[in-house]
Amino acid sequence: MDLTPQQQDALIELLNIGFGRAAASLSHLTGHRVVLEVPQVSIHPIEMLGETLEKVVNQDVASVHQIFSGPVAGDALLILDHAAAGILKELLTDEPSLPLPVDASGREVLTEVGNILLNACLGTFGNLLDVQVSFSIPHLNLDALNTVLRSLLVKREGMRYALVVHAGFRLRDAAVTGYLVIVLSVASLDRLIKAVEHWEKGLN
Amino acid sequence: MPHTALLNAAMLRWLDELSTQGIFTTDDSLIVRSWNRWLERTSRRSASTVVGQPLFTAFPEIVDRGFQKHYEAALTGSVSVLAQPFHRYLLRFPTGDGSDGSEAMPQSCRIAPLIENGKILGTLTVIDDVSERVKSEAEMRRQIASAVEARMVAEDTLRIKDEFLATLSHEIRTPLNAVIGWTKILLARPSDAQTLQRALSVIDRNATAQARLIEDMLDMARIVSGKLRLELGPVDLVAATIAAIDVVAPAAAAKSITIRTALSRAPRPIVADADRVQQIVWNVLSNAVKFTPAGGSIEVFLPEAPAPIQLTVKDTGEGIAAEFLPHVFERFRQANSSSSRTEGGLGLGLALVRQLVEMHGGEIRVESGGRGAGTAFTITFPEPKETRVQPDADAAHLKGRPLTGVRLLVVDDDADWRELMMVSLTGHGADVMLAATARQALTLLDGTRNQLPHVIVADLAMPGDDGYALMDVLRASDPPLRSIPAIAVTAYSGEDHERRALEAGFRLHRSKPIAPDEVTSAVLEALNR
Repeated sequence: MDLTPQQQDALIELLNIGFGRAAASLSHLTGHRVVLEVPQVSIHPIEMLGETLEKVVNQDVASVHQIFSGPVAGDALLILDHAAAGILKELLTDEPSLPLPVDASGREVLTEVGNILLNACLGTFGNLLDVQVSFSIPHLNLDALNTVLRSLLVKREGMRYALVVHAGFRLRDAAVTGYLVIVLSVASLDRLIKAVEHWEKGLN
Repeated sequence: MPHTALLNAAMLRWLDELSTQGIFTTDDSLIVRSWNRWLERTSRRSASTVVGQPLFTAFPEIVDRGFQKHYEAALTGSVSVLAQPFHRYLLRFPTGDGSDGSEAMPQSCRIAPLIENGKILGTLTVIDDVSERVKSEAEMRRQIASAVEARMVAEDTLRIKDEFLATLSHEIRTPLNAVIGWTKILLARPSDAQTLQRALSVIDRNATAQARLIEDMLDMARIVSGKLRLELGPVDLVAATIAAIDVVAPAAAAKSITIRTALSRAPRPIVADADRVQQIVWNVLSNAVKFTPAGGSIEVFLPEAPAPIQLTVKDTGEGIAAEFLPHVFERFRQANSSSSRTEGGLGLGLALVRQLVEMHGGEIRVESGGRGAGTAFTITFPEPKETRVQPDADAAHLKGRPLTGVRLLVVDDDADWRELMMVSLTGHGADVMLAATARQALTLLDGTRNQLPHVIVADLAMPGDDGYALMDVLRASDPPLRSIPAIAVTAYSGEDHERRALEAGFRLHRSKPIAPDEVTSAVLEALNR
């Protein structure tokens, strides 16, 4: 299932609205100007997700995972390289970095950042579809990428597609890229894309 | 009650009474509906005073600190994480250790909707006390920072040593090149008087520089190992300053540097080691000459009493950058250690000066307006205590010919030293015999049975039998040979050597370098005069 260029543009535009809100929250939290951009979105069958992500992140990742449920249900993840995660938390907290596995505070910071981003993104979709989604408590994992993806495959057999959103953070003259992965059923995804198209037409 | 309902009730009771987290709930109007035991204990507010109250009334700080949006979001299905590094805490509780509560307990929080059958019934807040975590992470950061700091210091030290070694080899080779070069020229072909004069003056200058360099290094080594001892006596700082100015005057003149002085007309006596005071003043002055460009000037101040005994040397030189000022007196430090530096030297001079000044109980300060603004060194010596400013007792003692009629035997393998002793001791009236080895000394003693010396002055380190061997033979002999007092005058200094010499049977131990008059004083002491 490929997105047409128009669908891609519309999705990026929509996501940028959500990311703008998330960036404002992060700027407020950290006292630094945080800019969040969506340079790219794509849709992949969930079996191909590993192959897609391996091109952009190492195996060692920090991932913030939230399950959402309601009329539209699925998994939402923010996936960051260990290195990127370390840099991001240091930039956000002004604290010298400890290694992530021993830095509970740092992990919590990343959890909150992931939560803000995932909330903003899914909240935007929810508004668009005029449905209310509710979320599980976000959870941060320091597992290999394969392990993270396997858990998605095993748990949700009905979920077929993943929306992959590149999230470019820019703050304090540095740039860090994370990846938002939203796993949806075909029906949910279809509904979402149609709504996005509809929304875009309404704008024009 | 069905089993599941019982189980749920038990779980709720557990969460209420035994949980180690704070848990409270509100309904969808944000009225507090439960407040667990942990919260009662930690907030010192009982459930009865909180439950039933609107959350924002019970805790206005939630609104004040902008957290109400998380509750509003929870009522639309969103979850919020409040990370401690960002928010510090949700509700202001006294710290977990029960102390006075001046500092709020650091908290990590989750705010979530409570949903049943797709309907949002209210909110759930879970609070963790993360005091321990914050403390241990701070400790870890501190340890990492201090390890990083230690590594930087170690790397810095290594770098400084490397630079020092590079400087050292350069500084030692430079004068040697000149000496060897000119010596080869002189050896290779006959030279006219002018060339000879030129060569000798170059050799002399470079050899002197080399000696100075080595002397500085040895002094520093002695100071570091605690072996440098001061021979304290009354010294006039004014005279010492004038003498040091005389020494650097030629170098200053060569660079057209003017030295202006404003020195006390009356002597400013201090209790000090005369040679070391010379060294201190000379080093500071020559440093000023070195770093003052041609045509500049140096000012030397030493005020009259009762002003403090403070010698100031101020130059119009290149000054010292503010960031280097604290390092001026460190060993091996030079502001410019690159190969392009224009000034020679090991970077030991000022370190030595500070050590020597401090050994005298004084202090040295440096001030500079920064690069290009000149530098001022101020050395303060302590006021001498009245009793210590006696005229030199030894000197008075030596007036006239105190050794008249005294027979002395000097044993030393150094011919120059023997000659010096001969001149000096006979000058004080003694009859002096000389021996170059222990064997020669014993032969002499054997041949002068009726005219045995009153005192023997012997070196310890000599080729063949040394001073200790000589003493062994003497102590094993019959009187009167056995009872002749002997003085060890030796380059072996330090308490160990002194003890060893005294144990071997020497009456006194004196370290070289030593002034000839001090040998005379030692002889008088050995004779109990």
